[in-house]
Amino acid sequence: MKKTDQIDWYKLSLELHKFYAGKIETMPKVPIRRMKDFAIWYTPGVAEPSRVSGKNPDYSLELTNRWNTIAVVTDGTRVLGLGDIGPEGAYPVMEGKALLFKYLGGVDAVPLVHRAREPEKFLELLELVEPSFGGINLEDIESPKCFHILDEARKRLRIPVWHDDQQGTAAATLAGLINAAILTNRDLRKSRIVLLGAGAANIALYRLLKAYGVPPGNIVVLDSKGVLHPERDDIDRLMIRNKWKYEIAIETGGGGLKPGSKLPEALEGADILVAASRPGPGVVKKEWVARMAKEAIVFAEANPVPEIWPWEAKEAGARIVATGRSDLPNQVNNSLVFPGVFRGVLDVRATTITDEMAIAAAEEIAAFARERGIHDDYILPTMEEWELYPRVAAAVASKASEQGVARKPTTYSEEVERAREIIESVRGKYEAIVKAGLIPPPPVDYEEP
Amino acid sequence: MYEPSIVVRKAGPDDVEDLLVMIEKFYRFNEEFDPAWSVKEETRDVAKEMASKYIEDPRSVVLVAQVDGKIIGFVRAEIRENPILENGRLGIIVELYVHPQYRRRGVAKRLVEEASKELALRGVSVVGAEFPAANSVARAFYENLGFRPYLSVYIKEVK
Repeated sequence: MKKTDQIDWYKLSLELHKFYAGKIETMPKVPIRRMKDFAIWYTPGVAEPSRVSGKNPDYSLELTNRWNTIAVVTDGTRVLGLGDIGPEGAYPVMEGKALLFKYLGGVDAVPLVHRAREPEKFLELLELVEPSFGGINLEDIESPKCFHILDEARKRLRIPVWHDDQQGTAAATLAGLINAAILTNRDLRKSRIVLLGAGAANIALYRLLKAYGVPPGNIVVLDSKGVLHPERDDIDRLMIRNKWKYEIAIETGGGGLKPGSKLPEALEGADILVAASRPGPGVVKKEWVARMAKEAIVFAEANPVPEIWPWEAKEAGARIVATGRSDLPNQVNNSLVFPGVFRGVLDVRATTITDEMAIAAAEEIAAFARERGIHDDYILPTMEEWELYPRVAAAVASKASEQGVARKPTTYSEEVERAREIIESVRGKYEAIVKAGLIPPPPVDYEEP
Repeated sequence: MYEPSIVVRKAGPDDVEDLLVMIEKFYRFNEEFDPAWSVKEETRDVAKEMASKYIEDPRSVVLVAQVDGKIIGFVRAEIRENPILENGRLGIIVELYVHPQYRRRGVAKRLVEEASKELALRGVSVVGAEFPAANSVARAFYENLGFRPYLSVYIKEVK
């Protein structure tokens, strides 16, 4: 056994993946007392629920486990930091995500890795498999294709579609920003916000900030070539190749900066920096952070090394710093968001996840942290705080009900209870299995911290 | 969505410097869609010559859109004749560009409408627009204004 800081996670992970040969499995949830029971669960009895669902397809969300089942879908074109490693390469990651869905949110998630890389084909696949699932979680798809697929899928499907690399990261970031703004006496809607990196996370964050009420003119977005600006040389090319960047350039007007401006100019007097670009250190320099407003807020979300180390940002005058790392304070973590979001939308059989629902999730996460007492090194809850997930579910479910996108509307207080019960029952079942010795202990291990 | 502050007027010799920039940008934009539209490396002088020639050309209609004294877009159409056709006098829009920061205010639409009026005054009964077949942006724009496909031009590299 080794201490956590010197342990080879890659080697350990491979060994344990071999040993367990998969991380999730399906389990019966009905009584099977004798073989005769299959006359209920299977033929001939099952013909009746089949007839009912055939006549009214929405009943399949009541009479089967479809309501609690989502697909974790990828074509494997941008997996973690590994790039385009294909569907088989992506499978272990998708299965890990499914494990988190079940363990944290009580959601039955199934990896669906596929070869439909072409966007239209990808969308067709989603439409074709829609009847199997209560929701779709997209994952690890290259940009800008992922924007088109999410936008279109949200239009075409009548089950919620979520791209965690976009909306999950954006909602977790917004939650952190809400509390960071409170701690530094700022109004987020009046703050000057700089987004470094124009990939999935920041383009989604831009949209969410807009929906939250931040005027586009307060926001500056930079990609590797500098500020997205209407007078940029390649602006017409962006219109064709990446309309999402193009729209940001037009809507923000480049935040009033000169065309060709880079990060140092963009940070001049800025209140907030959210970097979701490439691994640091040194992507964001201390002297640039020093140009920001007093008590600046810096989120450096690249993994494994943030764009700037928190201590460097603080030395340069930043007051609140967040990263994507679990071993540093203020981790911006998708896992705070997606389990509760899906718990909520599945429980009300929602048809979609609106931006307002994502904002409701972010606000709930922020409120949860505030109830526990926020300070500079605690602006977001941690994954261990279990009570969070039912709360997020309730915020999302009640917002869905309010907006008329819930097939089974509910209230906040009803949903908190329901979500807690579902998640606790999953944990109860799991603990019982472990206790019974049905999941063997790992043959190799690391030392508990 | 007309903005009264946007003025559309005929282009004159003083507009050449503004026109050449927009001509360059127009062709660089279309280059994106088809390598057959590749633009020369150095275009400033050519574009300047084109602009100066057009504003003098009696068969061309060149209009600029202006806001607060700043030129933000232009259109050029040329009159083409085919004496055997019933509708033998056509006005073809060959270049159209609006600077990105002034888009989404109906400027291009206004330029096309004003050019159409001017062409009609000159005896044109049909107005058309030429653009690379792969330019989906242009296709959507003109279709939205009620234009329909009229002529197909096919090409093949011969050397």
